[in-house]
Amino acid sequence: MKYIKIGCIFLLTYTFTAGYLFDVPALPILNETVRALYLHVPMWFTMIFLLLLSSYHSYMFVSKGGELHESKSYNYAHVGVYFGILGLLTGMFWAKYTWGTYWTNDPKLNGSAIGLLIYFGYFILRSSIDDESKKGKISSVYNVFAFSMLIPLIFILPRLTDSLHPGNGGNPGFNVYDMNSQLRLVFYPAVTGFIFLGLWISDLRLKMLKLK
Amino acid sequence: MINKIFSILQKDLKIEFSKGHLFFSVILYVVSSIYIVYLSFQPSGLFNLEVWVSIFWILILFASVSSVSKSFFQESQKRNLYYYFIVSPDELIISKLVYNFLFLSAIVLLTFIVFSFLLGDIIISKNFFVVLLILGSLSISNCLTLISAISYQVENNSLIISVLGFPVILPILLLLVRISKVSSIDFSWNLIREDIYLLILLNIILLALTKVLFNYLWRN
Repeated sequence: MKYIKIGCIFLLTYTFTAGYLFDVPALPILNETVRALYLHVPMWFTMIFLLLLSSYHSYMFVSKGGELHESKSYNYAHVGVYFGILGLLTGMFWAKYTWGTYWTNDPKLNGSAIGLLIYFGYFILRSSIDDESKKGKISSVYNVFAFSMLIPLIFILPRLTDSLHPGNGGNPGFNVYDMNSQLRLVFYPAVTGFIFLGLWISDLRLKMLKLK
Repeated sequence: MINKIFSILQKDLKIEFSKGHLFFSVILYVVSSIYIVYLSFQPSGLFNLEVWVSIFWILILFASVSSVSKSFFQESQKRNLYYYFIVSPDELIISKLVYNFLFLSAIVLLTFIVFSFLLGDIIISKNFFVVLLILGSLSISNCLTLISAISYQVENNSLIISVLGFPVILPILLLLVRISKVSSIDFSWNLIREDIYLLILLNIILLALTKVLFNYLWRN
């Protein structure tokens, strides 16, 4: 955990200085807004990573038991949803300047909004059960089920239709993202840094929960 | 194992036939909502294919949520305890899946007949559309059976099933709407092949998850 904290501080400091100072390729329409890539895309990477951890812990809880797994899965889902909301917000502002509107009928936008709805359903389900032993089991079962429906929604369905996002309507490799080495120099550290930040926040939340 | 599945299924169907009020209440629910749609589209009527297909699947969604949710709620607490001792969770969930599938396909086919009678017979490739309806009711029942088992365990559950079910069922519904839009005028396998494969893949995932997760849920 100690190395994650040090790495997080180092990488995010680097992201925020280099992200604003380094040269970026001058493309039509995009211009300097391409710097939003360093904030927008890592949010989704972090969300998916945290939700994956959450459903893993849910599965461990229903199959093996152990209260720690349950509280961990709840925590990861919570922090993951925060990152999802931030991803939507950063994306909305970026869209305003490049596509001209805050919200369009883009399959990725719809998929991620519905993904957030799924997790709000999970929180509602979890808070509507009073019995402690039942609460963990039922919500964990739903968490695993919901995550496996989230995957086709975000990763498979948008690929089948045309989208304004890059890498859709075809085979989406990282090469299709049209990123040059200049962008990559900041993008990969940003993704790692934000994932570390997510882990750090969930760790702090877990400690708070234990103290209560 | 198959014997036990059949006997639970037989029991459910027998209850359904002898009472019949659940089936007819869902039918009445569907028919009255179709009538509301019919009246609200009066005097000009409904000619747009996209609107037709969307309203049709939304009606199916609401009807199926209210009918699938009953499959667990109609069992009393005592009977569930009795099941706990004589059947394994796999047998119970498979029989429920088959029952829901049969129930839903009957509802969906009837809805299609009434809907095209009142709102105009827009679908041209009928044979394919009926196959799609059966595939759709299979996918919806696969998706909602576990959700109804989850919400059975929660108090004031009638709201919970729609909160939990709607976002989860959305990928399936999107695929169904898209396939029916593309194929209702002129059926062509090339246009819908990928979507059909994806639907079948989703069904396999849903079945596997339902079977695995229901085991854990049932131990309560």
